[in-house]
Amino acid sequence: MSDSDPPVVLIVEDEPDVAETYNLWLQDEYEVRMAENGSEALDQLDPSVDVVLLDRMMPGLSGDEVLERIRDSNSDCRVAMVTAVEPDFDILEMGFDSYLTKPIRSEELHDTVSNLLERSTYDDLLQQYYSLVEKQATLEATKSSAELAESEEYQDLTDRVEELKGDLSGTLGGVENDEDFIATLRELSNGDEN
Amino acid sequence: MATKTDPSGTMYDLSSVLDVDALESVRPGTSILISGPAMTGKQDLAYDILADGVDNGQGAVIVSTGDRAETVIEDFSGRVSGADMSLGVVDCAADQSSADSAPGDEIFVHHVSSPGDLTGIGIGITEGLEALHDRGIDEGRLALSSLSTMLTYTDRKTVFKFCHVLSSRLDAAEYLGLFTIDASAHDEQTLQVIKQAFDGLIEIRERDSVREARVRGLSGESSDWVEL
Repeated sequence: MSDSDPPVVLIVEDEPDVAETYNLWLQDEYEVRMAENGSEALDQLDPSVDVVLLDRMMPGLSGDEVLERIRDSNSDCRVAMVTAVEPDFDILEMGFDSYLTKPIRSEELHDTVSNLLERSTYDDLLQQYYSLVEKQATLEATKSSAELAESEEYQDLTDRVEELKGDLSGTLGGVENDEDFIATLRELSNGDEN
Repeated sequence: MATKTDPSGTMYDLSSVLDVDALESVRPGTSILISGPAMTGKQDLAYDILADGVDNGQGAVIVSTGDRAETVIEDFSGRVSGADMSLGVVDCAADQSSADSAPGDEIFVHHVSSPGDLTGIGIGITEGLEALHDRGIDEGRLALSSLSTMLTYTDRKTVFKFCHVLSSRLDAAEYLGLFTIDASAHDEQTLQVIKQAFDGLIEIRERDSVREARVRGLSGESSDWVEL
């Protein structure tokens, strides 16, 4: 996702009126795609999709099955479950990133999508942060403190580490919320691409 | 969002456990790495700091990768002065059991399938904090023992990220975090990377059967070595 392209949201909803309502609310800020059922959703899924709004009760493939296929794919998109009943904590354990209970209001939908995008931003920053910390540690392990004091590369790395640390603490409100915390941890295990 | 300069909670005083100036007034939300060779009392120090908090009416959460919950509870109850223990245990060492249980009236126990199950550990911590909160306790200390075990289940990158995310969560909760690592089990670079996820470091060494500790990173210069 580059800065100029709007994030991509995929709406998976079997009721056309409902799907169109979500589309109207989101289309000014996001590139919206729509799928009427699970298999159509999987066809539309590609690496450019950032957020999926997934209705849980659909004819054909269920929301849970679609989620499983998404998680098995290489996509690192975020999935919010749309449900008719208020779920409990198990939603996060099941692998959903968030949930919305019908009927959904416009503001709520916007908040959820932007929160999920912020989690992706957090993951990206954390990955960059780790890379820099690792480089910094390599220099520290191989150079004397006199050499480090002279090294522009080391100074630059140290500055960027501090800067990223600040960016991280300003993202997701410093991981204040339990849902953000658990979802971020789950992503660490999923995103283990070594 | 927690700001570094204006903590709303009271400062944590750890100096009665380890007599170092830098530990007299530790900002809520601080996470500290306890590093030293094997069998030098890193976990003892972490548990003593938690027990000191419990004696002062604070909560304690222990994430254990080695000892089962029953062992942790027995060990910990020998360190607190009263019978009342505001304790939550996240047990990643038990083999099969997955049900939460309450061995006493007040001790919360959550079982996680393995030290590599980061989501499970996170859920256990969240529920442990919530159980303490429900009893009106919003100040407390968390110990995770040990990161070395976690590093045998998960790679360095993931453990580093886990530490950063957990430290951030504790910062928001204004808890104090203590994480132990066996310095003799990892290369210098790994230790250097893991350290970066924390606000401060307590180093432990043993010389002529005397255990000593010093504190770095919490305020100004590193402290002198003091006997444990």
